[in-house]
Amino acid sequence: MAAGGGGSGDPLAPAGVPCAFSPHSQAYFALASTDGHLRVWETANNRLHQEYVPSAHLSGTCTCLAWAPARLQAKESPQRKKRKSEAVGTSNQTDLLALGTAVGSILLYSTVKGELHSKLISGGHDNRVNCIQWHQDSGCLYSCSDDKHIVEWNVQACKVKCKWKGDNSSVSSLCISPDGKMLLSAGRTIKLWVLETKEVYRHFTGHATPVSSLMFTTIRPPNESQPFDGITGLYFLSGAVHDRLLNVWQVRSENKEKSAVMSFTVTDEPVYIDLTLSENKEEPVKLAVVCRDGQVHLFEHILNGYCKKPLTSNCTIQIATPGKGKKSTPKPIPILAAGFCSDKMSLLLVYGSWFQPTIERVALNSREPHMCLVRDISNCWAPKVETAITKVRTPVMNSEAKVLVPGIPGHHAAIKPTPPQTEQVESKRKSGGNEVSIEERLGAMDIDTPKKGKDDLQTNSFPVLLTQGLESNDFEMLNKVLQTRNVNLIKKTVLRMPLHTVIPLLQELTKRLQGHPNSAVLMVQWLKCVLTVHASYLSTLPDLVPQLGTLYQLMESRVKTFQKLSHLHGKLILLITQVTASEKTKGAPSPGQKAKLVYEEGKDGGYGMESRITTFSFQ
Amino acid sequence: MAGYKPVAIQTYPILGEKITQDTLYWNNYKTPVQIKEFGAVSKVDFSPQPPYNYAVTASSRIHIYGRYSQEPIKTFSRFKDTAYCATFRQDGRLLVAGSEDGGVQLFDISGRAPLRQFEGHTKAVHTVDFTADKYHVVSGADDYTVKLWDIPNATEILTFKEHSDYVRCGCASKLNPDLFITGSYDHTVKMFDARTNTSVLSVEHGQPVESVLLFPSGGLLVSAGGRYVKVWDMLKGGQLLVSLKNHHKTVTCLCLSSSGQRLLSGSLDRKVKVYSTTSYKVVHSFDYAASILSLALAHEDETIVVGMTNGILSVKHRKSEAKKESLPRRRRPAYRTFIKGKNYMKQRDDILINRPAKKHLELYDRDLKHFRISKALDRVLDPTCTIKTPEITVSIIKELNRRGVLANALAGRDEKEISHVLNFLIRHLSQPRFAPVLINAAEIIIDIYLPVIGQSPVVDKKFLLLQGLVEKEIDYQRELLETLGMMDMLFATMRRKEGTSVLEHTSDGFPENKKIES
Repeated sequence: MAAGGGGSGDPLAPAGVPCAFSPHSQAYFALASTDGHLRVWETANNRLHQEYVPSAHLSGTCTCLAWAPARLQAKESPQRKKRKSEAVGTSNQTDLLALGTAVGSILLYSTVKGELHSKLISGGHDNRVNCIQWHQDSGCLYSCSDDKHIVEWNVQACKVKCKWKGDNSSVSSLCISPDGKMLLSAGRTIKLWVLETKEVYRHFTGHATPVSSLMFTTIRPPNESQPFDGITGLYFLSGAVHDRLLNVWQVRSENKEKSAVMSFTVTDEPVYIDLTLSENKEEPVKLAVVCRDGQVHLFEHILNGYCKKPLTSNCTIQIATPGKGKKSTPKPIPILAAGFCSDKMSLLLVYGSWFQPTIERVALNSREPHMCLVRDISNCWAPKVETAITKVRTPVMNSEAKVLVPGIPGHHAAIKPTPPQTEQVESKRKSGGNEVSIEERLGAMDIDTPKKGKDDLQTNSFPVLLTQGLESNDFEMLNKVLQTRNVNLIKKTVLRMPLHTVIPLLQELTKRLQGHPNSAVLMVQWLKCVLTVHASYLSTLPDLVPQLGTLYQLMESRVKTFQKLSHLHGKLILLITQVTASEKTKGAPSPGQKAKLVYEEGKDGGYGMESRITTFSFQ
Repeated sequence: MAGYKPVAIQTYPILGEKITQDTLYWNNYKTPVQIKEFGAVSKVDFSPQPPYNYAVTASSRIHIYGRYSQEPIKTFSRFKDTAYCATFRQDGRLLVAGSEDGGVQLFDISGRAPLRQFEGHTKAVHTVDFTADKYHVVSGADDYTVKLWDIPNATEILTFKEHSDYVRCGCASKLNPDLFITGSYDHTVKMFDARTNTSVLSVEHGQPVESVLLFPSGGLLVSAGGRYVKVWDMLKGGQLLVSLKNHHKTVTCLCLSSSGQRLLSGSLDRKVKVYSTTSYKVVHSFDYAASILSLALAHEDETIVVGMTNGILSVKHRKSEAKKESLPRRRRPAYRTFIKGKNYMKQRDDILINRPAKKHLELYDRDLKHFRISKALDRVLDPTCTIKTPEITVSIIKELNRRGVLANALAGRDEKEISHVLNFLIRHLSQPRFAPVLINAAEIIIDIYLPVIGQSPVVDKKFLLLQGLVEKEIDYQRELLETLGMMDMLFATMRRKEGTSVLEHTSDGFPENKKIES
């Protein structure tokens, strides 16, 4: 599978996190996040199947991963992957997952046993492993690294079979030909090796930046009349870091043509690529490319020779949150990976955050050029783990160990090229048998501290924003700051703002005081705050009266109507109470039919009249 | 008979931003066309010759776009690494570009492979330019050197090693083939003369210099670095004329308008500011979606092209002027109709009778003249009038009030009409210029309609709204009154100071006056 590398400080490192679907039925999705955890998700029900933390997960982050070809007894359809098409794995390779790390070691993890199977260290790489590929037949493993070498491993013996220099710079990607006799390797240029002799068979121009993915797109040559030697006439695909073009190359018999046969253009750097193989000449190759901007582009093309212009996608898939109400606008949800299901008509999409991805099966509709799926991922944040079936092991960490919070950009796990202390950690892992639920661990990782820290963060940034806005007279920026209702925030901001911005702020407030009372009330808060906090500064200004004269006059002219307005307000209140009262009496039968006070003039009055009743009723 | 005097409409100053000639000029562009490039767009350069194509440098490619094309008409992609600073020659036929690996390559516009490759820099070359004689190329690199190359022989002529940090920008004089200027991260801008081996002038910018620009006359130099844009007078030996600080992040690019009257600067704060080159005040500013790295103006300011860090190229074209001409004009009487008979000279026995000029009355004035007060009020309460010219409505209400017939005019209205009036009140009551008149009107309305209140839910709702508004306004004014108190305190301290100083003055002045008197 094409898998992106881990995020490191290197600008030419591929974007995205290493992840891969398991071969043949795609029952599992393995994802190695930058905090060093390997998580295996069940694609069918979106559940966390297993979680594994390598012992040296902070110093040696996982940079690439690859599923081993399926076991012998698992008969798989040949459409799935060309390099796994004639999969005849040895029986002891039990759904192995190979992980390459930043320090050069390769870990083999068994998903059946839920623990580390073995480690490939001796004689291997001494720098970051960039790509791992399993050989589909022989059970060999190929890996390439920043140390410019390609290594062929014997997995059973955990030993190096062969190691040779692959390039003058780091080797970033590998791919094994469908017949298993050739190997593609790429740094910036692409080389085709004969595996038996380890000699270069062909050169290709490649890309300007390190190639992040290589893949064969066809199994058989387009022209079937000619005899097929296993490699001539085949097409393969390459994508590179910082490159929006995916190039397709053809292995030709003559060694002349060095430029790409055709290219696919996407909107951003590709982070994950999957494709379906074409069985015959008429069936198009389907290609799904996940870009760094979180979109998926689908291509459907019959590969038949040279095409000059870059091809654009047939269909684009995006995912967004529903925009609830007026205030929340729909936000895009990044898609992390996409894989074709075995029926070729539907796509497995992995989206959300890599910490808690959602996996969904989406049927393909080739007619629509653009698909936007609306998904709500806000409620599926709490990760659910079935503890009965998982074998979660947590590493015992000493108190100095600092846990980095995932999801904050620029805070990747530091990669230290120091050799991991394997024995010590091994023994510690065994002692750490007690299982901690993931909620507890989330609490330990302080996921929810940003909420608490928000106030500090805002008061830190508000004075900066305000100063910047006043200096460049940026309307939007000033709006953001000045339209806050939080009195505390206003106070803190005014306290921390630099003195030279006081007069510009007063002038800006003068402008804004003239508006509708709704917004102007907020400005008065600011004005009062400035006057109280900076009173001593203002009183030292020699030209205070001319500076604030307009402001004073403006306010004075506005309050002139205060008396009349209050008068009007009194009238209006009376009126409104009458209206509401009449509405009430309309709605419900009035409770007090009886008068509250009845005054009867005494019979002993001098006039001797019949009793006159005067009624006062109060509401 | 005394004629009817039309109602005086009170005029008020227009609030808000003043619309200047510059605002109109720089707003007169169409919505931008956005083109996605392969990486951050580090340089945009227009060909000086028609058809004014432009070269865009992004990542390891140089694209050349036509005036209205959204697809590149030509691509130079034979760079091993990131390309920088693709610049056209004055005749628009050659293009030179630097590269991350230290090479400088010269291309023919019609060709594909480089014509010349200048090898000699050991680090990335961020700036290249042609000299005024067209046969030399100046380049500045991260190895702190500035080199002058000969195009025909592809050889290096001179090397200047005076900068002590990366050389990131530069430009050659348009007039003198031997002069060129480079700006460096060592905070200096240096002017070099090819006839000597050293720099002839050096100015201290104070921040790492990101961009330099020479005025067409060569007399003024503009440098940008940090948040500052500084203008230097070269003829006075590098005197600082102006220092501008209008951005809140680093200024990355500079550009002159085609007339030379306006200076444009683009910055990482996502803004382009336009300065007048006479007053050096900001006359306009544009907002963009991302941090700006490069900026270029086409011939006659026809197009503004801005390149950003997210790889998006924004292209704005000027709106065509022709459309405005096509508006159908009402046919008016010819000029001679108006001057007919005016030039007749009065003879000795003639008696001149002037016909009084016919006064044109507005419709509401006509109604008022005939005492159709309700109708006049209806007319000015029409939405077309209330939205566009609320001051007319207010003036009429004021006039009716002065005549003492406002109550009559307001009375006898049905639900729809009264809600019109209330709408107007709600909209404008809080404006201080209208408030005194409208408060009065509101009181009269309440007096008139108090008996029938509660009959119409629509009107009731309007009254509720009005009440909410008035409440808010009162709260606001109460706050203002408090603030006024604070300001009075402040001013009082000021006055006391002034007062004492005035007293001192008089005491000083007294003896003098006495002297004069004596």
